[in-house]
Amino acid sequence: MKLASYRKKSPWILHYNAGGCNGCDIEILACLGPKYDIERFGMINTGNPKQSDILLVTGPVTKRSRERLVEIYAQMPEPKVVISCGACASTGGVFRGMYNCEGGIDQYIPVDVYVCGCGTRPEQIIDGVVQALGILEKKTKELEESVRLKKEAVNEGKQLNRRNIADEIKPLLS
Amino acid sequence: MNDYLIPVLLIVLAPIIGGLVYGFERVVKARMQRRIGPPLLQPFYDFLKLADKRKMIVHSAHAFLGIMHFVSLWFALGVLLLGGDLILVIFLHLLSTALIILAGYSTRSVFSHLGANRTAISVLAYEPVLIIIAVSIFMITGTFETGAVYLWDEPLLYKMPLAFVALLLILPIKLKKSPFDVAEAHQEVTGGVELEFSGLFYEAVYTAKWLDYVFCYTLVFLFAGSNILLGIGLIVFTFFYLNALDNSSARVNYKQMLRFSLGVAFSLAFINLLINILS
Ligand code: SF4
Repeated sequence: MKLASYRKKSPWILHYNAGGCNGCDIEILACLGPKYDIERFGMINTGNPKQSDILLVTGPVTKRSRERLVEIYAQMPEPKVVISCGACASTGGVFRGMYNCEGGIDQYIPVDVYVCGCGTRPEQIIDGVVQALGILEKKTKELEESVRLKKEAVNEGKQLNRRNIADEIKPLLS
Repeated sequence: MNDYLIPVLLIVLAPIIGGLVYGFERVVKARMQRRIGPPLLQPFYDFLKLADKRKMIVHSAHAFLGIMHFVSLWFALGVLLLGGDLILVIFLHLLSTALIILAGYSTRSVFSHLGANRTAISVLAYEPVLIIIAVSIFMITGTFETGAVYLWDEPLLYKMPLAFVALLLILPIKLKKSPFDVAEAHQEVTGGVELEFSGLFYEAVYTAKWLDYVFCYTLVFLFAGSNILLGIGLIVFTFFYLNALDNSSARVNYKQMLRFSLGVAFSLAFINLLINILS
């Protein structure tokens, strides 16, 4: 066993309902039950942003929930991954165009994995979380290495400021 | 020299033993619910992962109190295993709980305050019973030194069965298990006092929970005197009892908890003490 593989073995999940119909939330709870049992991958539903790695959002952003959503996201320590769970978290779904609804959550926070379905199936959620684990590991590694070091040193004639560097290394990251 | 070997080993390895107990407990709990459950080493994976996360602290005193909670708990455990004074051990344990309560009050989060309030109440619920049990042990053995209790020939369990029952009734409060887990109450106050800890500093609080397991099971072991087999039997019994209780009961509120522990557990321990004094 590689020592570094523990990172994938203990994802703690924070579940937030931004304003959906509760259908997806029930499916998430089904994942925790005996049939699907995601605890065998070491996942726990913590409910505490300061200790969790994966933010699982269901439901569209509403005018009421947007501040809370962003705040919860900001409270999670790096590295973190966001999964939008269900059609309405991804695009607005059946709520799209309503007076209180602002559409998918990716308008406010960066989303890494989209899980489809109106009423996502537990299998899909597990699949999404497993994909998110890969992204989580990649993000952890990115935090450790400096991409700038991969490029040659800047010589005195053309020094870059930080914004230029950010533009320059963007293609390297993707 | 050899007398100290086992206690010192136990003290040094206490976090690892506690982690294994916690991991095993999660597996057993999952099996009781017909789930497969996490791997045995899951707590250590969590431990390593938490070390990786970016640290966010509310303020330095908060983080410091969290770490001191861990250190003082380990110290209390050390005194208990090395055969120190039982009353001292109980108060050191109280000190470590007081530190985490202070940490809870030192933040501005409402949940943290609620958790600190509830932790303080649960201390109120189990502490008197523990003291009475310690006094009962004193009545039988004539000393508060746990070192003498480990060597006591006749198991204390036979002399003070009611006190053991009382201990079984307050252990769920101490270990924050259902039905007396108001202090932690993950669905209501999302962990209570440990809410604002993150990353490396949460690790201290998380590992302190493992130490608490070792502490509580050592208290159980005290009842067997020098009979090691009986002690192991008691520990295994307590382990399964706690998990079965945790799985099969719902949370009661703090008033019910206080009424139960001070009404039932305290009176059981007290009757036991009276019997010990009279006989
Ligand atoms: S995707 Fe469908 S089932 Fe899920 S929360 Fe939205 S409306 Fe409900």
